[in-house]
Amino acid sequence: MPGGNTGIIGWFNFLHKGIGFFAYAMHRISGIVIVLYLYLHFFVLSNLLRGGVTFNSLITSFTYGPYDIFIVMDILLSLVIFYHGANGIRLMLNEAGLGLKHHKLLFFVFESVAMILMLLFLYYAWQVLLSGAGV
Amino acid sequence: MMSNMNMKSEGTINKKARSMGSIQWLFQAATGAFIIFFLGVHLYVAHINGGSPVELFDTVVGNLSNPWWLAFFLVFLWIVTYHGLNGLKGIIYETGISTRGRKGVSWAIMGVYIVSIIYGTVLSLVVAQMTIP
Repeated sequence: MPGGNTGIIGWFNFLHKGIGFFAYAMHRISGIVIVLYLYLHFFVLSNLLRGGVTFNSLITSFTYGPYDIFIVMDILLSLVIFYHGANGIRLMLNEAGLGLKHHKLLFFVFESVAMILMLLFLYYAWQVLLSGAGV
Repeated sequence: MMSNMNMKSEGTINKKARSMGSIQWLFQAATGAFIIFFLGVHLYVAHINGGSPVELFDTVVGNLSNPWWLAFFLVFLWIVTYHGLNGLKGIIYETGISTRGRKGVSWAIMGVYIVSIIYGTVLSLVVAQMTIP
């Protein structure tokens, strides 16, 4: 962390450091999680080469069992991605000199909108999962 | 701790303390803006309008066999991988490593990026040629 004396471990120490530090640390933590997921995504998609039957049965096992715990991880991943995107937009605006005086308010507004969009996305994605549950 | 010297505002790192150069930061912001659009489309196509997960193979192969979707996903792949790895490089720089260490990290990240996009591109092109059973 820039000019910091607590290092990466210090990112997890949010107490008494304010919302700005929380935003700063979570942006980096969420970024690392997303990069790790990106390579997991590459790995899963590589199974396309094994053919339709194998790939579909793999995705079905992640979605409808026995490994449907991955749905919980997907929901957590959505949280991380929507958080990171909303905070990223705020940072871009701040870098352009916009909203600097109200950066805390902007953080809450952008994150609130992102969480609403995330809930909408999860709702519609869930409907799709339910529609395929009986297949 | 972040001090006023390091932070233009809370959550925004000033230019002196920034782990990336100005050009890299600009690329990071620009690719971030693109990703918001690309990811929005990707989430809609893959999770809302993509049909049942039980038949996902057909959906993916069907999409990638369309040259426009193939181009879309290839550009998405190149941009999102750049954004992710460049961000990771910035985080590593923030740990305060030496100039020599930074050069090593920079080369390593560049190598990982090249390997990743070659692998992803070849995978996409091969899948685009597959047939739906």
